[in-house]
Amino acid sequence: MDARHTFDFLTNPERFMAFSRWAAPWLGGLSAVAAVIGLTLTFMVPEDYQQGDTVRMMFIHIPAASLSMFIYLCLGIASLLSLVYRHVLADLAAQACAPIGAVYTVLALITGSLWGRPMWGTYWVWDARLTSVLVLLLFYLGYMGLRGALEDEQKAARSAAILALVGVINLPVVKFSVDWWNTLHQGSSTFFADKGDHLPAVYAWPAAFMALAYLGGFGALWLVRIRALVWRRKARSLSLKLAEGAR
Amino acid sequence: MSFDFDAGKYAVYLWPAFAISAVAFAWLIGDSLAMARRWRREVDRLQAELDENRP
Repeated sequence: MDARHTFDFLTNPERFMAFSRWAAPWLGGLSAVAAVIGLTLTFMVPEDYQQGDTVRMMFIHIPAASLSMFIYLCLGIASLLSLVYRHVLADLAAQACAPIGAVYTVLALITGSLWGRPMWGTYWVWDARLTSVLVLLLFYLGYMGLRGALEDEQKAARSAAILALVGVINLPVVKFSVDWWNTLHQGSSTFFADKGDHLPAVYAWPAAFMALAYLGGFGALWLVRIRALVWRRKARSLSLKLAEGAR
Repeated sequence: MSFDFDAGKYAVYLWPAFAISAVAFAWLIGDSLAMARRWRREVDRLQAELDENRP
């Protein structure tokens, strides 16, 4: 197979529709299985000696928070590709992932807040991590708002893509805020943390399965939403053809 | 190991967090599938109309 056509399934709308038709249910199924195993383990692990039962919050908070950043990175890459190559699928991919990312970010903020109250004694504090995640949510909302506000779709796509790229600057701030500043929020303790800060294996397994569930869920939902936007675009072009035929 | 659903004094924080997450995912799944179905049907309808009008 010609190497130039390796990624045709992501750039050619027809091939993308054929690929996503089977990939979306598979990813959804994988996510569901991982969620069942992850949730089972979540309620089987022993409570933490310091945090008690609130440690179970970790298994829904960390994947939501990590994915909220990952999805924004996808939004940024898709926006860059749509700006540089003016590729329709890249633009639709960016548009499709914004609402999913916004929901994941809201979940990260809410679950974090509900975890913070018993552990820190407060639902909210304006520390660097929490504030930068709130800014991340504002970028998602701004992106969706801008796309919806402008009538000219091409202008809306370009403006929103530029805003998305500006927002990428916030990602390292979110990630490293706990290292750069003194924050109430703890530093990283997951798989990429320093050796001494690693999660114990008993908590690492449910965390890994829940991360897989959230990642697979994002993948499936993203594909479904891109498919919907491809159909919407096709519907608009068919409407135009019908209107021209009626003249 | 057995299931431990008794969160004690933390239940008031733990269960709402799981419930909100479940509701959010249910909404995301429902909205995404409904959106895809709606536009697919619209394409089918318009395509059929276009085929009918074709000379």
